[in-house]
Amino acid sequence: MKAHPIQRIARFASNALIGVAATGLVAMTIIIGWQVIGRFVLGSSPSWSEQAAQVLMIWFAFLAAAAGVREGFHIRIVALEEAASPRIRRLMQLSASLVVAGCGLAMLILGGELVMRTWEHTIPSLGMSRGFAYLGLPISGALIVLFEIERMFFPAPEPETTVVIE
Amino acid sequence: MEIAVLLISLTVLFMLGVPVAFALLGSSILCFLAMDIPLVVVFQRMAAGVSTFSLMAIPFFVFAGDLMYRSGIATRLVQIAEAAFGRSRGGLGLVTVGASTMFGAVSGSAIATCSAVGSTLIQPMREKGYDADYAVNVTASAAIVGLLVPPSHNMIIYTAASGIGVSITDMFLAGIIPGIITAVLVGLVSWMVAVKRGYPRGVFPGWNAFSRAILFAIPGLLTIVVIMGGILSGIFTPTESSAIAVIYTIVIGAFAYRTLGWAKFRQAAAQSVRVTAMVLLIIGAATAFGHALAILQAPTQLADLITAITDNPILVLLIVNIILLVLGTFMDMAPLIIIMTPILLPVMTKIGVDPVHFGIIMILNQGIGLLTPPVGSVLFVASSIGKTKMETAMKTIWPFYGALTVALILVTYIPQISMTLPAMFNGK
Amino acid sequence: GGSGMRVLLSSDTHPAGYPTVEAVQEMGRLLSERTNGRLGVRVYAGGQLGAERDTLEITTFGGLDMNRVFMSPLNAIEPDTTIPSLPFLFQSKDHMRRALDGAPGRAILDTLEKHGLIGLCYYDSGERSFYNTRKPIYTPDDMKGMKIRTPNSDLSVATINATGANATPMDLGEVYQSLVQGVIDGAENNWPSFESGRHFEAAPYYSLTRHVMTPEVLLMSKARWDRLSSADRDIVMACARDSVPFMRKLWDERVEGARTRLLAAGVKENEVIDRAAFVRLMKPVYDQFVTTPFQKRLVADIEAMAASS
Ligand code: NA
Ligand code: NA
Repeated sequence: MKAHPIQRIARFASNALIGVAATGLVAMTIIIGWQVIGRFVLGSSPSWSEQAAQVLMIWFAFLAAAAGVREGFHIRIVALEEAASPRIRRLMQLSASLVVAGCGLAMLILGGELVMRTWEHTIPSLGMSRGFAYLGLPISGALIVLFEIERMFFPAPEPETTVVIE
Repeated sequence: MEIAVLLISLTVLFMLGVPVAFALLGSSILCFLAMDIPLVVVFQRMAAGVSTFSLMAIPFFVFAGDLMYRSGIATRLVQIAEAAFGRSRGGLGLVTVGASTMFGAVSGSAIATCSAVGSTLIQPMREKGYDADYAVNVTASAAIVGLLVPPSHNMIIYTAASGIGVSITDMFLAGIIPGIITAVLVGLVSWMVAVKRGYPRGVFPGWNAFSRAILFAIPGLLTIVVIMGGILSGIFTPTESSAIAVIYTIVIGAFAYRTLGWAKFRQAAAQSVRVTAMVLLIIGAATAFGHALAILQAPTQLADLITAITDNPILVLLIVNIILLVLGTFMDMAPLIIIMTPILLPVMTKIGVDPVHFGIIMILNQGIGLLTPPVGSVLFVASSIGKTKMETAMKTIWPFYGALTVALILVTYIPQISMTLPAMFNGK
Repeated sequence: GGSGMRVLLSSDTHPAGYPTVEAVQEMGRLLSERTNGRLGVRVYAGGQLGAERDTLEITTFGGLDMNRVFMSPLNAIEPDTTIPSLPFLFQSKDHMRRALDGAPGRAILDTLEKHGLIGLCYYDSGERSFYNTRKPIYTPDDMKGMKIRTPNSDLSVATINATGANATPMDLGEVYQSLVQGVIDGAENNWPSFESGRHFEAAPYYSLTRHVMTPEVLLMSKARWDRLSSADRDIVMACARDSVPFMRKLWDERVEGARTRLLAAGVKENEVIDRAAFVRLMKPVYDQFVTTPFQKRLVADIEAMAASS
């Protein structure tokens, strides 16, 4: 069976997000590594490195978190859902999807407002717009909405990958 | 009123099965609406919560742990532990505890410890006739040691949440002895259960094999020397040390062990961003949630409530531990640290508990929470590696809870266990 | 709310009991006294609502009514707020207070309105001087090659480098250990911070350069300000102004207390011999950070007020 365009777009977006985020993590490692080496070799550390790594972290955290909505890796309490009847379970899943989509929409709109209201602020030592650092939020929000729409119409697009945290 | 909106909506969203991060975010949005505060603040707090410099240690320590796992460092550590404890009755349980302590000492995360040691040892245990529930329980409980022995990214989250400049270095030093005590207690219980169930002895591989194992493990074990040495000598900060741990692991994985190739590296990076994105999103949402609590003055109110009940330090510590244990059953470590630290720390300083000491209490307490359902990540990971239902493991986990509770009581009521090493290094 | 009492929420990163926190509480007391309890202030001290950079953004959104911040985080929002942080701009504490309480200070606060912030008043953050582990600093030559910790701000870095020392941007929490281990030779701060961070134990030479006197400011969210009646705005402004002498008295006591204790503990204090030499070295800093006609006029106005002391 051929995948619906929404599913294909969603799969591409989700994989791209993880790829971009992983590259961001590697870049962060290089920047902070350079900060230490720079201090060791040059006697002073670059003043931009911390700020740059922090901006990368906001971006990659929110982008990969959006992918997590599709991959289903966000931790949640499943005990009640598993105890419920199939009909109730479907209802619970649908309302949970609506809540997450609503949060995504809020991230898109209010994250967008956050970007616009801080666009004129600069990040010290980086000279970059503060709003740019926050730009990952609305993008992530838009993708979360996309992924939840996919999930509502095409349940369980892929086997859920399990990632766990402490 | 507003606080009811916050807590009731959170509970409902949790029960619906909404992911923890989105439940925290959704209830924060409702509460800000009720408080008539512009909603854009929720997202400012969320982004700011994620972009704290010291929290950068999370992706780095998770990445380093994943790389260590993929380059087989855990296997070498297991060989050492096998040579040391393998001959004892039920020796593989002790091997698990020993290997977890060593891996915990080089990795910043209990999950990395659990998955690395679990995937190396649970299968061999099953083959030698150990029950699955036992293998899962030992692996999960031993991983808690990794939270206490440095490095530990949860300690970094604690220092960030404390907001009063608790030193990460002090926290790292303070965790060492509690970590060892916890390892000994968990080891004791796993030995006792193994003897009771009549698990077999292993065979000593011989001094040659033992020394070879140690030789091969040295580059991996040196990670902790690099990290703590670098921090204590001031060459780099604790946050920077996490990035150095990544670079060091890549170097030894690629050149010393020659087990880390491009494919494994890419997998490790992708898997690490998944884990950290999830943790950071929860931290971000918890920061917004905590902001609402702070505006509503929940910290002061809870502090007043506790001190109204009693101002006896022993009882206050008991109450606080019980609160944290209960919360730890259904919430995860990172959001709990972010939300509860600002609330409880003022109470602690009031009764004369050092913030570093309290940090260790909190880490160990919420480490137990990682083993308690419905939200118990470490038990969950161990169960899935052991291909066992969490419920099955739960039935026989009680002796291990007992060991961890005894450790928690010791750490809570004997401050010297935590404070001796930091005091030594600060010349006090 | 409908109860008729409006509590203004105010953030402060300093802990309860700190002079800025006490002053904003005093302002709130005056406010509720003069509005018969219609308005009041609740201070969230100790940074419980976030770091200054973040609470500033929240205040511009109207998510907080008031905010007491150090001047430097405002630089990222409005470059003109850099002026009071220029090195050797103020000749004395008295000069600084007159300039900031007067027209130049007001003009700087007014630049914040377009960013959604109303500047209410300035509080003191003291005079910053250099301290180091090696020797007293009398002239810029004494600082050559020393590694001096600075806050992570371009202006601070430029200032330290202009003296001939090597600026090392570093988090305040890492300074003590770095002094002990010799990673840095010195740092710069006011007496109370020099004491509270225990830096004096490792760096006992405190040389009174008084090179920077960046103030603290009390701000109100424009969103809240616009919803106040014009009579209430006047009251708010007056209460803020009246809290300033209260704050400065507490601050001066704090500085004197710290200084007395540190001198007794063996800290070696010295005046610099050649202030003019330091001032001459700052020319490139001024060239870099004072660029617009408005900024140049501010500097000229402030310098002109030095003579009248
Ligand atoms: Na560890
Ligand atoms: Na739990």
